[in-house]
Amino acid sequence: MSDAQDHNEDLHHQRPASPIELRARALEAVLAEKGLVSTDAIDAVIELYENDVGPQNGAKVVARAWVDSAYRERLLANGAAAIAELGYGGEEGNTMVVVPNGPGVHNAVVCTLCSCYPWPVLGLPPSWYKSAPYRARMVAEPRAVLREFGLELPPETTIRVWDSTAEVRYLVLPERPSGTDGWAEEALAALVTRDAMIGVAVPRAERASA
Amino acid sequence: MSTATAFADVDAALRAVAPLPRANGELVFEEVWQGRALGLGVVVLERTGVTWSEFRDYLVTAIAAHVPAPGESAATAYYTAWLNTVEALLVARGLVPAKAV
Repeated sequence: MSDAQDHNEDLHHQRPASPIELRARALEAVLAEKGLVSTDAIDAVIELYENDVGPQNGAKVVARAWVDSAYRERLLANGAAAIAELGYGGEEGNTMVVVPNGPGVHNAVVCTLCSCYPWPVLGLPPSWYKSAPYRARMVAEPRAVLREFGLELPPETTIRVWDSTAEVRYLVLPERPSGTDGWAEEALAALVTRDAMIGVAVPRAERASA
Repeated sequence: MSTATAFADVDAALRAVAPLPRANGELVFEEVWQGRALGLGVVVLERTGVTWSEFRDYLVTAIAAHVPAPGESAATAYYTAWLNTVEALLVARGLVPAKAV
């Protein structure tokens, strides 16, 4: 269990600021006065790191697998090695199992113990991924949880839920949406969301912007 | 408002000698100020042109120099050193006076 699991912003907000916290604020204020930082700029960095950077890596992996069947085979045989081919990875991402969705099969990823997450390809995990309800309910009633995410699966679809550990991380390889024949890899990658690679959504062609 | 600095680049620059605090591979921010410290460093480097390799060298020095308080967590120690690094870099460049903070 990690310190991160004890993270509770509300509690932190309620207690008095620690000396280092005050110092951090003071430094930010001094630098803002000098024009070296701004609150907005820092917010933008945090937001980007939370939402954007990582999933783009995973999306490129998925798009490559969609257009290159040999790559797809390598990805399913050894996720970490195939992901490293595209220049992504890191010591923490070394054991990566890629689980493919297919006709009648949908995969989703959870970490029931804490919040293990394939950060080299997906970036920082969304806050709900770490929440106790997601962690517990995704295993007990995945169909209901997916419905709450807006993903209604046919009753005959088998849902496989993969429980991440410190040793093994999972990445969902979604199905390529219909209506995307002939699309460039880059355009395909733009369809692949973080949620689709966790398995709480599926990519849809209409999501694409011109 | 956006940033040109990818998280993967920051991570890669620091991984070998001063890796960002993680637990189970996940970045650890125990308190809000720690995440803001990371963002602050990114913005300062973008605006001053200081490179990540230079920042890393300062950070290694700052981590070595930091004496953790009793019971201080690894993340608190790291991001305290991180703030010291930002300040030391800017003082060294004459962008903020020493003891401004």
